[in-house]
This record gives sequence, C-alpha cells and structure tokens, in this order.
Amino acid sequence: MLPRLRRFAIGLCGNPADGDDLCQTSLERALANRDKWRAGTRLDSWMYRIMRNLWIDQGRASARRRETFVEEDAGFAVGGEGAQEAAVELSMVDRAMQALPAEQREAVLLVMVEGYAYREAAEIAGCPVGTLNSRLVRGREALLAILGESA
Amino acid sequence: MTVSRDELAAFADGELTGPRAREVEAALAADPSLMRDLERHRALKAQLSAHFDPIVDEPVPDALAALLRSAGDGPASNVVGFAEARERIAEKRRLPRWSWVAGPALAASLALVVLVPRGGDENEGYADARLAGLLDQRLVVEQRPGDATRVLLSFRDRAGVYCRAFSGRGGGGIACRDDAGWKLEATGEGAAGSRSEYRMAGADDAAILARAQALAEGGALDGEQETAARARGWR
Repeated sequence: MLPRLRRFAIGLCGNPADGDDLCQTSLERALANRDKWRAGTRLDSWMYRIMRNLWIDQGRASARRRETFVEEDAGFAVGGEGAQEAAVELSMVDRAMQALPAEQREAVLLVMVEGYAYREAAEIAGCPVGTLNSRLVRGREALLAILGESA
Repeated sequence: MTVSRDELAAFADGELTGPRAREVEAALAADPSLMRDLERHRALKAQLSAHFDPIVDEPVPDALAALLRSAGDGPASNVVGFAEARERIAEKRRLPRWSWVAGPALAASLALVVLVPRGGDENEGYADARLAGLLDQRLVVEQRPGDATRVLLSFRDRAGVYCRAFSGRGGGGIACRDDAGWKLEATGEGAAGSRSEYRMAGADDAAILARAQALAEGGALDGEQETAARARGWR
C-alpha cells in the first residue's frame, strides 16, 4: 500500500520531495491514531483520508504564506530558462495538475490514477458523490483543455 | 438518445452499469464524434497513468520505511502492517463463529444497504415504525434473499434482553427490546452521519456480527426459540 500512497501524495503535492514529506506525516499520523482505525473498514481508504486531510490543511497554511511572500517566489522563477525547458517538457502533466484547484486535483487522482469508484473517492474526500462527480468533471475538462493539444 | 458529458465521463470511468451502459455503448457505435470524446477521456487517463504509475514501482524512501520499522510493527515491506494484520485476524475471528447461523444471510446479501432512522425522528435512538414492525414480526428463517432489510440473527444479551441484528437499506445495526420499543444499541456506518451513501455490505455485516457476539450471552436463537420469543413480544 505504501507505494500507492506515495503516488497519491506526489500527485497531490506535485513533486516527489513534498510528496514524501506528506507521506511521512501521514504515516506518523496513522501510527499515532492506529486505535481509531475500525476493523472491518477499509484500511486503504482510511490512510488516503488521513493523507488528504493533512494535505488540505497544509494547503491552507501555505496559501497564507504565499500571500505574504509573493515577491520572493516570483524572484526565484526568473533566469535559467534554457535549463528549465527540458524539465518543463517532462512535467506537462504535473503543471496541468498543479493548475487545478485542490479539490479537482484530488478527485482526478483518486478516480483516474488510484482507480477508486466515485463512491469510495467521495468517502475519502469527505463529500457527497455528486460533489465528487462535479469536481471530477471540471478537473477532467480542464486537463483536456491544457493537455489536449499535446496528447 | 443523447449522452451528457457527465454520463460519458462516468462511462469512461466504468461507473455506468446495466441497461444505461448498453445504451451508451449503442450511442457510441452510432456517433463517431461521441466516440472521439470517449477516446479523449481514455487518452487522458492513459497519459495520467503513464505519468504517475511508475512511482508505484520506485523503491520506497528509507525514511518512510524506517518510520514503519521504528513503530515496531513488523517488517517495513508490509507497510501499515499493524492494521492489516489486525484486520485479517479480526475477520478470521469473527466470521466462523457466527457463520453456522448467519452465513446464509450474509451470502444472500452481497450488495446491502441499510436503514437506520437519522436524528429528528420522534423517538430518537429507537427503531422507527417500519423497522420496529419488521423486528417484531420477521423470523430469520422466513426471509427471502431479495428483502430490502434482513434480520441477521437474534440473541439475548447478558441481562436476558432480546436483541436482533439487522441489515438493509440505509443502515444496519443491533436493536434490543425494552419498554419503549427497539432501542438501537449499535448502528452501522450508514447511521454515522455524513457518509450516508450506499455501501457494500460484507464488511459492515461482519462488524455488526462482531458487535452482536460481544453483546450476546450464548449463541444465536434458533428457529423455535425465535418463534417463542416473538409470541411473547420479545420480552
């Protein structure tokens, strides 16, 4: 299960370093809360839920940081264009995914990458199936628009 | 017949079943532009898989593996092994002991969905009229596989009170008969609140039966005992 959790984490975060950090925090949280897992319920869903909740919380925190340090971030992106080109080419999917709102990205990953049924994905995301479905539809349309030409 | 975008996406995700899925297949065969849309969905999925699936084959970073080792719950390769092992043991422990009586009921109810009154009922914490009627009357042996709600088994708890485990549309659980009616002692996930969508039955029924086992004094009632208990109004 850990490799799959890692894939989900990296997909959410957009890069392996942050993904592994999220994975680590999630495992720590799961181990600390192992008594709360109910036998007879799906362990993988429980782990995914822990991970996505942590990620959503982190996202709120880092969004606040971004508001404060926009200038600095913009500065980092300047220069070194030649070297960046190959990396950009490789990560079209990453960039497209990162362009999605968090909840759409999550829905796309759970259903299209992790292979969960809508109902299971909704349970992990803690939303009604209809909500999950509309996030997925919007996320998918956006990805098709961004990636469609290159696909 | 028209196929909406949502529906086509659901079809691509394998979420459509039954007659509607066949209708969409027919529409796809008749409409090349619809088929092109489906191909776009599939191409996107393939692109995502090609991008993310290799991560699964990568070795797990040492830091993560070490974290699990330090937790002292067995080899790191078995990831959250602690819970998986517990799940297996719990499954083994709970099912065989009840299977002589509840097995047929479980087998007959693969896609169950259950029924528990949510808050706001006039008699909160008790079975509603429909469920209570069923708990009053229905014997385990009388049930048919297609019944929306089934009584899994009946037993007496340590105080001698009659209790019945049930499972069906909207929720499942255990109800015990007291002066006021069928008091819900334990309810399945369906009643927990936010997660009210349909669920697979197997695991929930197992949880309900495990709870029944914890509450019961002695085994499940047989047909004769149930009939006698019903004649006395389960008191």
